[in-house]
Amino acid sequence: MSTVATGQASGRYARLMTSLLRGTLRLDVLVNKLYPTDFNPLYYTGGLSNLFLFTLVLSGIFLFFYYDASLGESFASVQYLTDRVPYGGIVRGVHRYAADGFIVGILLHLLRNWFTDRHLFARDNPWISGMFLLLFAGFIGFTGYQLVWDERAQLLTSMFVAMLRSIPAAGAALTRLFIGGVGISDGTLVRILFLHIGPATALYVFLWWHYVRQRHPKIWPPGVWVLFCVGLVFLLAGAVPVTRETIPAATPAASPTRFPMDVFFLIPFWLLNFLPAGVVVLLLVALFVGGLAIPYASRRETPVEMGVRHSGVAQVIDGNCTGCELCYYDCPYNAIVMVPSPGPGLSKAAANRSLLAVVIESRCVECGICIGACPFEALELPKFLERDVLRQVGEAVQA
Amino acid sequence: MRSIYVVGIVVLSGLSLLFAVGIIYGEATDQWFLGGGFVGALLIAYSFIVLLLRQVGLIGPRKTER
Amino acid sequence: MTQTLKVVGFICDWSVDLAPLSDGGRLREVPGVRVIRVPCSGFVRPNWLEDALNRGADGVFVTGCPYGDCLNREGNFLMRDRIDQLRRRLQRRKVDPARIGMLAFGLHDGASFLAEVKAFVDRIAALPPAPPARAAGRAAVTQPAQASEGERP
Ligand code: SF4
Ligand code: SF4
Repeated sequence: MSTVATGQASGRYARLMTSLLRGTLRLDVLVNKLYPTDFNPLYYTGGLSNLFLFTLVLSGIFLFFYYDASLGESFASVQYLTDRVPYGGIVRGVHRYAADGFIVGILLHLLRNWFTDRHLFARDNPWISGMFLLLFAGFIGFTGYQLVWDERAQLLTSMFVAMLRSIPAAGAALTRLFIGGVGISDGTLVRILFLHIGPATALYVFLWWHYVRQRHPKIWPPGVWVLFCVGLVFLLAGAVPVTRETIPAATPAASPTRFPMDVFFLIPFWLLNFLPAGVVVLLLVALFVGGLAIPYASRRETPVEMGVRHSGVAQVIDGNCTGCELCYYDCPYNAIVMVPSPGPGLSKAAANRSLLAVVIESRCVECGICIGACPFEALELPKFLERDVLRQVGEAVQA
Repeated sequence: MRSIYVVGIVVLSGLSLLFAVGIIYGEATDQWFLGGGFVGALLIAYSFIVLLLRQVGLIGPRKTER
Repeated sequence: MTQTLKVVGFICDWSVDLAPLSDGGRLREVPGVRVIRVPCSGFVRPNWLEDALNRGADGVFVTGCPYGDCLNREGNFLMRDRIDQLRRRLQRRKVDPARIGMLAFGLHDGASFLAEVKAFVDRIAALPPAPPARAAGRAAVTQPAQASEGERP
C-alpha cells in the first residue's frame, strides 16, 4: 500500500484513485477519534444497508396488510393507514426513510470498497452482485412511489411509460407488460405491487450471491448503530411526517406537471426535465454497464503495475499437508477447499491424512492469511517464501 | 475525561426518561406522530449512552471483534 | 538501554505508511526496531515470531490495519487470536507475554504507531534480560527430502 501511495502509480486515473484511497483512510482516522474502531460505522456500511433492508421488510409487511391494490381504493387505503391506524403513519414514514437510508448505505459501501481497491482481481464477485443489488433497490424504490397512486405516482407512471416506449423494438411490448394492457387499469396496480415485493425478495437471493465468496461476512452493524439508525428513522417519521407533502389522489382527469422530488430514487425522472426519454434510458443502461465494468476496465492493470506486492496464488505443498482444515477455516474468501486425500503425505505428520487442502486459484487474492494459519509449513506464497521471511528475520536479529 | 463521560451518561439518561414520558404522553393523547418521534429520540439517546459506556470502558467490544 | 534491544516488527504493506518512518528496514526514531514488510498481518506464521525470539530478538510485534478495516477482511482479527495463543504457549516456557505484541494502525496513523512501538520497547526494556539466544532454533526450511525425491534413480 505504501508502495502504491509513494508514487509508483502513473497516469491520471491511477493518481486520482490513489488520492481517493488516502482520503478515505484519512476520514477513518477522524471517525476513529469519535467512535472506537469496533464502532466505526464506515467499517460496517454493508451491515448498515442490511439493517435498513431488514427494517424495510418488517415495516413493509405491516403496510402490506392495509394496502388495497386497485385504482379507486389504493389512495384511500393508504390514507386510512396513515390517519386511522394507530401508528400507521409512523410505520409508513419508517418505510420511506429507511429506504433512503438503504440507498445511502449502499452508496457509501460502494464508494468505500471502490476507493480502497476491495473490488479488484479475485474479488469482483461481491462487486458484480452489488451492482445488481443497487439496480434492484432503485427499481423497488421507484415502484414504491407508484403504489400510493397519488398525482405524483400518476405522473411517474406516465414518465416511466415514456421511457419504456423510447426503447427501440421492444418498447411497445414492454409497456404492455408493465401496465398490463393498453391502458392503466386495476391490473396495473397489482403488477406494480408485485414489482415492488417480488424484486425485494430477489434482493435476498442477490445477497446470497453477495456473500457466497466470503467467510464470516459482517452482515450486521454494531449495537450503537442499530440503535442510532432505527432511532433516526423513527425520529424522522415522527418529526417530518410523510403527510407533510399533501399530494392529491390521482384522477384520470388530472394532468399534474410537478411533484415534490426525492433525491435518492427519482433522479432519473428529474433528468427528464432536460433530456428526452430515450437519452435517459441510455444513460441508465450506460451507468449500469459501466458499473459492471469497473473492476475490469478501471484496474491499474496487473498488481505489478499497480505497485502492490504480487505474491502469487498460495500453493499447497502436497507432501506436508496433514488435512487439518485450519487454512480452510481461516481463508476469508473461501478459496481453499478440502478434498479427499489421494494418498499419504511425505512428512510424518501427514502420513495418516484423510483430507488435502486445495487452493482454487481464481478465488485467491494472494493475501497469505492461510500461510499464517498452517502449522505444518504446507502452504507458501510463491513469490514470498517462508525461506525469504526467515532470511529477513535472521538479518534483522544479526544486524 | 472519565467524569465528563459519566456526566454525559447521566444527562442522556435524564433525557431518555423525558423521551419515555413523551412516548406515553403521545400515546395518551393519541398524537401518534409525537409518540413515534419520541421512540426515535429515545433510541438515539440510547445509542449515545452505549457509545459513552464504551468510551468509559464499561462495555467492551464483542468477543469476536475485541 | 533501548538502543541495545533488538525488536523485530512484521508490518503489513497496507497498514502504517513506513516510507517517512524508516530507512533500511529500521525505524528512524527507534533504531532497535527492525521492520519486515509482509503482504497482510495474517501472513505471519506464529512459528516465525517464536523463531525470532529463539534467535535472540528481545521482542517481536505484528502490525495490521485497524480492527475491522483489514484489506483482506479478517487478517488482523485472526492474527490477534494467533498471537494470544502464542503468548499462552510461550508463557509455559517462561517467555514473558509482553515480548510479543499485536498493533493495529492505519495508513495515516504513523505518529500513534511510533508512540505505541516506543511504549512496547520500553516495556521490554523494563523486563529482566531474556535468556541467551538458543543456537538457531531450526533449519531455515523444514521440508522433508525436497527435490532429491524424484532424482533418485
Ligand atoms: S492467500 Fe490463502 S487465505 Fe488468501 S485468498 Fe489465497 S488461499 Fe485464501
Ligand atoms: S493448514 Fe496446512 S496442513 Fe492444515 S489443511 Fe491447510 S495446508 Fe494442510
